Amino acid sequence: MLSAISPSLRYLTALALIAAAALPFLTDNMFIINLAVLMLIAIIFSSAWNLLACSGQGSLGHAAFFGIGAYASTLVAVALGITPFITIFIGAGVAAVIGILIGLTCVRLKEWFLAMVTFGFAIIVQTLVVSVLAPMTGGWDGIPSPRLISPAIPGYQLIEYYAILAITIAIIIAIWYIMRSKAGLAFLAIRENETEARAAGINPVRYRLLAFALSAFIAGIAGALQIHHIGYITPELFGVDNSFWPITFVILGGLGTIAGPVIGTVVLTVIWEGLKETGMTFARYVIIGIILILTIIFLPKGLVSLPERVREWKEKRERKRSVIEEFSSDIE
Amino acid sequence: MDDISIILQILFWGLYAGCIYILLATGLNLIFGVMKVVNFAHGEFLMVGAYITFTVFLFTGLNPYVILLLSMLALVGIGAIVERLCFRPILGTGKLNEIFLSIGLIYIFQNGAAMIWGDAWQSVKSPYDGITVPVGPLSVPLDYIIIIVVTALILCGLYLFLKKTTIGMQMRATSQNRKGAMLVGINVERIDVISFGLGCALAAAAGTLWVVSGQVFNPYMGAIPAVKAFAIIILGGLGSIPGAIIGGLLMGLAENGAAFLLGGIWKDAISFIVLIVVLVIRPTGLFGGKEG
Repeated sequence: MLSAISPSLRYLTALALIAAAALPFLTDNMFIINLAVLMLIAIIFSSAWNLLACSGQGSLGHAAFFGIGAYASTLVAVALGITPFITIFIGAGVAAVIGILIGLTCVRLKEWFLAMVTFGFAIIVQTLVVSVLAPMTGGWDGIPSPRLISPAIPGYQLIEYYAILAITIAIIIAIWYIMRSKAGLAFLAIRENETEARAAGINPVRYRLLAFALSAFIAGIAGALQIHHIGYITPELFGVDNSFWPITFVILGGLGTIAGPVIGTVVLTVIWEGLKETGMTFARYVIIGIILILTIIFLPKGLVSLPERVREWKEKRERKRSVIEEFSSDIE
Repeated sequence: MDDISIILQILFWGLYAGCIYILLATGLNLIFGVMKVVNFAHGEFLMVGAYITFTVFLFTGLNPYVILLLSMLALVGIGAIVERLCFRPILGTGKLNEIFLSIGLIYIFQNGAAMIWGDAWQSVKSPYDGITVPVGPLSVPLDYIIIIVVTALILCGLYLFLKKTTIGMQMRATSQNRKGAMLVGINVERIDVISFGLGCALAAAAGTLWVVSGQVFNPYMGAIPAVKAFAIIILGGLGSIPGAIIGGLLMGLAENGAAFLLGGIWKDAISFIVLIVVLVIRPTGLFGGKEG
C-alpha cells in the first residue's frame, strides 16, 4: 500500500504540488485562495483522522481534538501575546495530552464502543467549554483569535496560503515517515488482526495510544490553523458535522492511504462548492450521503483504488472474451 | 413543594423520558441481536416517525395515539428498504464500515427530511393537553401516563411476538446462532429484513410518543437520543432486551437528576460521562459478556 508508489501516483503528486504552488499566480480571486486554505486545513484534519483509523480505531468525535487545539492555541496566544506560529504547536500538544487521556479509555474498547466514547467526548468537551470554562472561552459567543499573519501586512493572504501549504506538506511527509516506520507497520498489523499482532510481539495498547496521541496532535494543528485563519473561535467547532467531515473525505479518497485524504478532500470540496453554485442547501448533504454510501458499497478502498478497479474490470472482460473465442473456435 | 415531591417529580420525569429511550434501545438491540449490526442512524428513524405522525395529524386530525400504528407500519417499510439497499451489501465486511455507512444514512435522512418539511422546530398539541391526573402528591399530565402505558403495551407485544410466533422464534434462533439457523432451514436474510423493520418500527413509536408529549422536533433531533440509546445498550449489554429496559430507565433518571442538580446544559453530557466511567471500569459494559 505504502511501499509501492505507482508511477501514476508519483506524477499526480508532482502535478498537485505544482498546482498548489502556482495557484496564487493563476487567480487573484481571494475567494478561491480562501477556499484553498480551508481545503489544506481539511487535508491535515482528514490525514489525522486517517492515521488513527490506520490503527483500527474509528473516531466519531475528532472535532474534540480539532477544537481543543484551536482553543488552547488561541488562549495561549492571547494570554502570552506570542505569535500563533508557536502557539499552534502548544495547542496541538494540549490536544495530544488529552488525546492520550481519552485514548487510555479507548484502547481496550471494540469499534462501536470506541466510536461512542469519542462521539460523547466531543459533546462533553463542548458542554465544558460553554459552561464551566465560559469565563475563559466566552461561552457560545466565542472570542476573537489572533490572525496567523497580521492583516496589516500587504499580501497577508498569500503569505498565509504559502505558510499553511508548507505546514500541510510537512505533515503529510511526517505521516508518510510514520507509516513506513516500525510504529506504522504495528498500526497496520493491529488493524488487521490484534491477536496475531500480539503474538508477533507488538504491544497493541502502547501503539494504539501512540496513534491516538499523534492523531490528536495533528488534528490540534488543523484546528488551530483554521481558527487563526478565520480570526474568531466559537464552540460550534465541536459540532457533529465537524467530526463527520474528515470521515467522509477519507472514505471517499481511500482509507489507510496517504493520498486518500488529499484526493477525497479535494474532490469532495469541489463537488460541494459546485453544488453550492446550483443553489442547493439540504440536497447537498443528501448527495454527499449518497456518495458516501455508494463508495462504501462499490469502491470500499476509495478513489485511490479506482485505476486498479478499472484495470481489474478490463482484465475480467478480456478473459471472458478469450474464453468465448476459445469456445467458438472449438465449435468450429 | 417539599423534598419528597421534588424527588417524585424527578422520578416520574425520568420514567417518562426513559420510555422513549427504552423503545429506541430495544429496537437497536433487536437489530444487533439478529444481524450483529449497529446502526448509528437509528435516531433518524425516530425523527421520520415523528414527522409521519405530524403530517398525518395535520391532514386528518386523527388522534395521535392512533397514528402511532400507522407510523410504525410505514417505518417497517422504510427500514426494510434501508436494510436491503445499504446494510446487506456490506454485511460482514467489518464493523467500521457499518459505522461509516450510518453516517451516510444520517446525512441522507436528516437533510432529506429538511427538504420535505423544512428545518424549523415544530410541535403538535395532544388532544389531552392540559388534563392532569393526581398521582400521590403530584399532578401528572394525562399524556405522560398514556405514554408509559403505551410503551409497556408495545414491550409486552414484542415479548409475545418473540416468544410465541414462528417468526419470533426464528428471530431468536438466528440471534443465537446464525449458521445453525441456516442449517435448520431458516431464511436468515428474510429474518434480517424483518428484524430491521421491527427495530425501525420501535423507533417510530418512540418518535410518535416524543411528538405527542408536546416536545419540539426538527430534522436533526434524532442524533442525540440515538446515541443515548446506544450508550444504554452498551451499559445494559449488547443484545439483551431486559438490559435495554433497565438501562433506559436508569438513563432517564440520571439525566433528569443531573438536569435538576447541575442545570439543563448538562443533560446531554451526563449520559456520556456515565458511559465513559462505566467503560473505564468494565470495557465490555455493565452486563456485557464476551460478545462486546
